[in-house]
Parts: sequence; structure tokens; C-alpha cells
Amino acid sequence: MYSIVSLIFKYIFIAIIYLFILSIIRLIYLDIKGIDTTILDNTNYLKLINRKDSLPFKIEEYYVLKDIMEVGRANDNEIVIRDPYVSKKHLRMAKDEGDFYLEDLDSANGTYVNGDRIMDVVRLKNGDRIRVGQVEFLYVDRE
Amino acid sequence: MNKELRRILIILTSICTLFVSLIVYMSYFQIFRAEAVKNNSYNKRLWIDEEKILRGSIIDRNGKILAYSEKSNDDIYKRFYNYGGLYSHIIGYSYREYGKVGLELEYNNILLNIDETTPFHELKSIVKPNTEGNTLKLTIDHHLQEYSRGLLGGKKGAIVAMDPKTAEVYAMVSFPDFNLSNLREEWNDIMEDEDKPFFNRATSGAYIPGSTFKVLTAMAILEDLDPNSQYECTGSVTIDGRTINDYEGRAHGKVNLEEALVKSCNSYFASKGVQVGKDRLGKLAGDFMINRQIPFDIPAAISTFPNKENLGKVDIAAASIGQGKVLMTPLNMALVVSGIANKGEVLQPTLVKEIISPEGEIIQNNEMEKISNGVSIFTANEIKNMMVEVVRRGTGTNAGIQNTRVAGKTGTAENPSGKSHAWFAGFAPADDPRIAVVVVLEEAGSTGGKAAAPIARNIMVEALNTLE
Amino acid sequence: MFKRRINYRVPRNLLVLFELLALVLVFVYYKDDFNRNILMLGAALIAMIYIASFVLLRISSGDNYIFLIVTMLISIGIIMIYRIDPELGIKQIIWTGVGILLFFITYFIVKNIDGWRNWILLYGGASIGLFLLTLLFGNRIKGSLNWIVLGRFSFQPTEIIKILLIFLLASYYANHERYKRVQNSNYYLVGVLYLFIGFLFIQRDLGTVLLFYSIFSAIQFIYEEDRKLILYNALFFLISGIIGYFTFSHVRVRFETWLNPWIYIDNKGYQITQSLFAIATGGFFGTGIGLGYPDFIPEVHTDFIFSAICEEMGIFTGIGLIMLFLILVYRGFKIALNQEDKFFKIVALGISVLFGIQSFIIFGGVLKMIPLTGITIPFVSYGGSSMLASFMALGILQVASEDLDLEGIGDE
Repeated sequence: MYSIVSLIFKYIFIAIIYLFILSIIRLIYLDIKGIDTTILDNTNYLKLINRKDSLPFKIEEYYVLKDIMEVGRANDNEIVIRDPYVSKKHLRMAKDEGDFYLEDLDSANGTYVNGDRIMDVVRLKNGDRIRVGQVEFLYVDRE
Repeated sequence: MNKELRRILIILTSICTLFVSLIVYMSYFQIFRAEAVKNNSYNKRLWIDEEKILRGSIIDRNGKILAYSEKSNDDIYKRFYNYGGLYSHIIGYSYREYGKVGLELEYNNILLNIDETTPFHELKSIVKPNTEGNTLKLTIDHHLQEYSRGLLGGKKGAIVAMDPKTAEVYAMVSFPDFNLSNLREEWNDIMEDEDKPFFNRATSGAYIPGSTFKVLTAMAILEDLDPNSQYECTGSVTIDGRTINDYEGRAHGKVNLEEALVKSCNSYFASKGVQVGKDRLGKLAGDFMINRQIPFDIPAAISTFPNKENLGKVDIAAASIGQGKVLMTPLNMALVVSGIANKGEVLQPTLVKEIISPEGEIIQNNEMEKISNGVSIFTANEIKNMMVEVVRRGTGTNAGIQNTRVAGKTGTAENPSGKSHAWFAGFAPADDPRIAVVVVLEEAGSTGGKAAAPIARNIMVEALNTLE
Repeated sequence: MFKRRINYRVPRNLLVLFELLALVLVFVYYKDDFNRNILMLGAALIAMIYIASFVLLRISSGDNYIFLIVTMLISIGIIMIYRIDPELGIKQIIWTGVGILLFFITYFIVKNIDGWRNWILLYGGASIGLFLLTLLFGNRIKGSLNWIVLGRFSFQPTEIIKILLIFLLASYYANHERYKRVQNSNYYLVGVLYLFIGFLFIQRDLGTVLLFYSIFSAIQFIYEEDRKLILYNALFFLISGIIGYFTFSHVRVRFETWLNPWIYIDNKGYQITQSLFAIATGGFFGTGIGLGYPDFIPEVHTDFIFSAICEEMGIFTGIGLIMLFLILVYRGFKIALNQEDKFFKIVALGISVLFGIQSFIIFGGVLKMIPLTGITIPFVSYGGSSMLASFMALGILQVASEDLDLEGIGDE
């Protein structure tokens, strides 16, 4: 009796161990991707273009945009980037009638959209590249 | 990428490589090496499982028990061998300390009634654990085996006796042998013995065949040349400046193929062999399993004929009379004469006749199987008649039996490393062959006709009188 | 639309299922002579692991995988140890409980005390002190003089020294700028390492020698600016290895039995060949727990637990075990990469290398891929010292996986 159970269990044990490994790997994979991208559906978000590992400070792969957001080096910003080339209050993004607008807050090193330093408020289009200090984001409109 | 990150990734990659190589090595070990490791005789697991199973008996063709197992006092089974060294090269042994050889090795799973490990069999073996193995019924006739060994009289050599029509082996002797029952006491002596008692001369002893090989050359001559053309034998023949002598330099005068075989005329076969050519000889040898693996129940060596090598005429001449680089095992020679006796067809030799389940049912029966076409029935008959003449009035008269036509051929093989080997290969009765015998006496220092033929004769007489 | 979320429940439930099935197996085995203690203890362990991983998810913002992976390793280990010797199995369950407790204690202490990076002298001094203690009061168990016996308990100081070594290296390289001003300070560091290795060599603990050297070399490779020193270090190790081979018979024995254990099958090659028999017999799926003969291998519950796992649970489980360690090491490196604080970054690297190399040394050893040196598999082998030290290291790794810099750095 015991032998039969043990014989059957050995296959079950191996199956469980591998399922366990697979589920962990899957979680890690999702983790590396940042967040599960399906939850980004129907939102506007910034996607990091730089390799996350290549930046010497902490940064996320994705930032989902809220109605008003400020980006800068100081802790009271919605998005904190500890890049020394980023000013304490660097830029602001705001939503108006379904579109997002970007405004530089007199930063020392400026904000670039598609390579051009912006002087005025800019309306963001899907696929715009936004550079702040050493960091570059892609603006994605999934609404 | 900065330096620190790059170096961290190098270390991470190295560790990953180490781990992956572990997995690869493990898989390699399991797929290619595990089988050999598992069957190492030091692996106690093999014995723990085996000693719980009553290992099947091994019996001769008449049901005489040759080897059996019995429960000893500590509740495990022990193996017993009934006839000392008589079957050391057939049955072999199965001992915890020394592992297994012979039929005990080749038929291990059948003797234990265990299957390859598949999940299904595994489950079956646990639901209904098997406690008793199958019995092997051999083709061996115990009486003939014992009788044959006796005839060797303690001389080094080998005997193979078989039924030419079925290729069932009646007797197979290799001497010196070793006592299966005293292996523990005698192991070291056996290992150091210069005569190599462990060596199975009958299946693996590759001997220079000498004149017995002329039977094969004769078949090639018969099929390719005119067997009746006359040849003037002067007692020697010179080919490419090298002289090949006849036995004791005797001139045989005018000979055709039959006379040449009867008198075992070296000059005739040497010059005709060169005429036939090495490719033709090699093909014929191959048809009789030379240069090919003989399928057998225990391991058998491959006989060799050098037709693939670059041979000069002298070498071909030497090969035609079974000298030079030709080597044959007694088992292979037995297949040659059996093939001639069996209308030219070569059958697979067998040692195991039946496998009998613990319940007494025959679960496997040895089927007769042709392994090579050999020669045409016409050629086989012609050669048979010539071999009958060899025994009636030629070199093989010592093998003659009253009122029975015996076919045979003698051989006295010059052995570069010692005294010559004495051969006899033949069968009887020639018209309805029932027994084929090959006798080899290693370094006998005497001729096949004088030393080997009488032994073969006695075996044939005994076989014809006692076998049913 | 259907939203998939990161869900730790799947692996956690698989783990619980695995452990419950193991308990069922024990239950079936003892159905005639029923032993309630072990079932209770087993259930307690399952509950403890489950609660611990749940609590950890609440209190730590860091990595959530390493603890899960480790509990799987422990589960496999305990099943096998219990099968080999139920008494040891129960002890191992208790050690695991203590270990988990120690994991949380370590976590809180390391997290809430500041200044770990500054106590380099303490780490060095404590290590040497422990080595001397071992030398003076040590008992030789199984050929290695690395146990200190205190009443009923015995422990291996080297297990603690491993962690001290990692802290020592981390505090040196985290303050590299400062120590660089001391001339040849990096040579002193190498000197300290070889002092440690010398002690280990006296203890005849060759596996740990290899381990210490690997950890040191890895950290040195990443952070040492004087690249020549790395080369010197490698050369020096090689040369002393060769000298060791020719002067010390116990080093030679390891190599000889690695090259061909079969000719020494009766004596010094006995262990490794028995291990190979076990692995070969198991095949890909194993014989089934309780149906093989792992007890033919000497020291099967510690150094050779991997062979026993391969025999009864199959090569596939063995490969699974290797993969679990691979993920653990990968996570450790990931933690190091994400950590801003240099001290904890190096500590995370050191601990990852420790887990990785230690398991590799013994996996490779029992498989005869590399020479066999006695060392335990972290979390899997039987042993209190090893279990507690491994959990301490894991607790430190857990701290290192969190964002430690957020509060520390203010605005300029």
C-alpha cells in the first residue's frame, strides 16, 4: 500500500516542484517587466526607454499618469528621480480635456521632447520621447 | 554600462554557467553512464532486490538441473552450481563479489523475471511482487558435454558439438575451465593462471585454422574454376619468390580438387587460391560468418579473413591454406561444417532452447533462424562428398565410424608463437547429418588427423548412440 | 477585461500542497503504528512557513521570492532527512522553526541598527577570535576540526565566520575611498583572507576554503581597482593549491578519488561511488520515497543528501533543486543591483555568491564533477549551525532587498 502511494507521489512531487519553479519564474518575469502591462490598458503612462539597470539611481519602468503630476529630484514630487541633472522641481504634466500637457518648471538643464528643448507648454502625442536629465521616457496614450 | 554593473553581471553569468553545467553533467551522467554504474557489482542495491527473488534454474535439454538457487539460513537466496567447472564457460556465474558472466549475465533479467523499469512494470512489480524467476532450458546435452570434456583429457583446447540442422549446441567445452563452486577460494589463482581459465576458447579463441580452412577455399574453387583440372604437385610451390611446402615436403603428384582436399595438398590450394583471388575468398568466408558478428547467446569473437587488407600473392596463397592472417573461432568453424551439412544454409547457433515460467509454461521457444545464405545446395553436396573421402581414405581416417559415412577435414595449424594447433571439423552421418563436431587442441604439437580426429570420432559415435 | 495581477498565492499554495502530500505519505507509512507527534509537528511547520511568508509580505517592502524559494528547499530537505532518520527529521523541523525565528530577529536587528559599514575591525577580530576558539576547544568530528561542543550542543563557528567575512569585505569596499588612503590596505585585506584560509586548512575544511576564496575573489573582482592584485591572488591560490597537493595527503586523496574512485572502491573511494550508485539507480523519476537505499551512503543526511534526493525523488527533482538555487542566486544578484547602499549591495552579492558556490561545491562533489569536499547544502542538509547561519544570511539579504536610501538622503 505505502509503496503504491509513494510510487504515485514521486511523479506528483516532481510536478509540484516544477510548477513551483515555473510560477516563481513567471512572477519574476512579470516583475522585471515592471508591472503587468495589461493593467496599463486604458491609461496614459510614461515608459522608461533607458535600460533600468544602466541608471545609477532608482527608477520605475512605468509611471501611470494622473491628472496633475510633478517630476523632480525632491521627495514631494509625484515622480522622484534622483538624477543630479534633474532639478528639485523639474517639470509638470497636467490633463486637460483628455490630453496631457507638459510644462518645464524653469529647470537648470531643461526638458526635451523629441530632441527639442521645450520653452512653452507642449501637448503630448502618443509616441513622444521626453528627456529629463539622463532619463528618457516614452509617452504612451492608450485611452 | 558602468564597470561595476558589468563585473557583477560577469560574476552572475559565471555562477549561472556553473549551475547549467551541473544540470548538463547530470543529464549526461544519467543518459550515458548510469546504466554501467548501476550494474557495477559493488552496487549493493542490485543484490538486495535480487536476493529476494528465487533465481531461475538452468537445466539441460533433458531436464537435468545444472544450476539452481536455494534459500539459505538468513533468508536470502544462494546460487549453487552442480557440475564444478563443466559449465563455467556456458552458464558462467552470478556472485555478489565477482558479478556475473555467461548466461547468468546475458539472461539475468529472465532468470529473475524482472522487466525493464518502466512506470507500468514498476507498479506491477509492487502490486504483485515477483518472487520466482524463469527457468532456462539449454540445448546442451549434459551427457555429451561431460563426455566431450573427458575426451579432452586435460589438454588445452575447445570442442563445439551441434545439431547441423538446427544449430542447437549439444556441447561446448573450453579447457582449462574453473570450478564454479569454489570461486571464492580460487579466485586469485584463476586470475593469475597463465592458461587463462576464464577465457572461453570455444567462442572467443581466435585460432589459425590451418588446413580446415581448405574446405572454404575448395568451395570457391568449385564454384569458379574447373574442379577436375589436373594439377602437378611437386611437394612445394613457389609464389613471388616464396616457397610454400606441403606437409613434410611430400609430393602428391597429379591431383584434382577432390584429391587435393583428401590429401590436404598445400601446393594445389595455394596456387588455386591465388587464381580465385582474395575478393572471392573473402566473400565466401563472409557468407560463412567470417568477418561478421555471430549472433549468439553469450559473447562470441569475430573470425577474420584479411580480404580488406592490401595482400600480395604470397599472402593470398597463405590465406588459402588457412595460414597467415586468417583466424577462426571453433564456434565459427562449427557453423561452416554445419552449413555444409545443412544444404549450404548457415543457421544461428543457440544455447537456450526454451524459457519456462515459474508456473511451468514455455514462454519463449527458440526459433530456428537463418543468418546467412552460405553456398548453393549443389556446392554443399559436392564438398560434403569430398569431405567424406577425406575421412574414408585421406588425412581424416581416424574419424571414421563403421557403417556410417562421416564427412570431415583435418588441420594442423602452424602457430608462430608455439607448437602447432590440431584441428578436426566434421559431421555424421553424411547423408542425414545429425551431429557436427569441431575439435581444436591448442599447441598440440601433433597433426589434426592424429590428435583431434579420434576425439571428434568418439563424440560423434556417442552422440549418434545416445541422442534421440 | 480580465486582469492578471502579480500573485504570490500560486507558489505559496503549491508549497503547502507539496508539504501536505508529504505528510499524507508519512501518514500512510505509519498507518498501522500511528504517531501523532510527527503529524502535529509537520502541521505546525506548514502553518509556521505559511504564516511567516504571509507576515513577511506585510512587513517587508523588499523581495518576496527568496523566502518562498528557501522554504521549498527546506521542505524537500526535511522530507528526505525524515525518511533517512525520523529522529533527525524531527530535529531538523525544530531547527527550521528556530531558523525562521532567527530570520525575523536578524531582519529587525540588521534593519534597525545603523553603522554596520563602520565596524570592519569588529568583523575581523570576531572572526579570528572564533577561529582561535575552534583551534583551542574544537573537537574533530568526521576528520574536520571545526566543531565547538558546548554541553549538549555543538556548533561550527565557520558558519558564523562566513557571514562575518562578507560583512568584512562589504565594509572595506563600501569605505574604499577612505581605506585607499592607507597604503597597501588592499594587500592587508588579502592577508586577512589568507589567514582565514590558513585556519580553515588547519581544520582540514577544504570545502570552506574553496567557499571563502570564491566569495573573496568575486567581491574583489567587482570592486578592486588594483586589477593586478586580482591576478596575484589567483596565482597565489593556484600555487598554494599545487603545494598543498604535494605536501598534504588529504588534499591528494580528494583528487585521486575524483579522477578514478572505482579503483579505491573499498576504501577512500567508497563514499563517492556509493553516491554515484544512488544517483544512477534513481533514474529520472527516482525509486519513490522510502523505496530506495540511500542509507548505503555514509553521511547521507548532511553532505550526501543530494544523492539521496536523486535516488528516491529522481534526477528531475535534483535538477529542480539546482534550479531553485539558481533562482535564489539570481534574486540575490537582482537585489544587489537594485540596492543603492553600497554596503548592503556588497553584502547581497556576498550572500548570493555564498549560497551559489556552497551548493555548487557539494552538488558537483557528489556527482563527481569536481573533487568532493565535505560541505553542507544550505537549507537542505541536516544540521543546526548550517540552518541557523543560512537563515541569518537570508534575513540580511531580506534587509538588503529593501530601499534603504530613501530616508537617508535629504535635499540639497
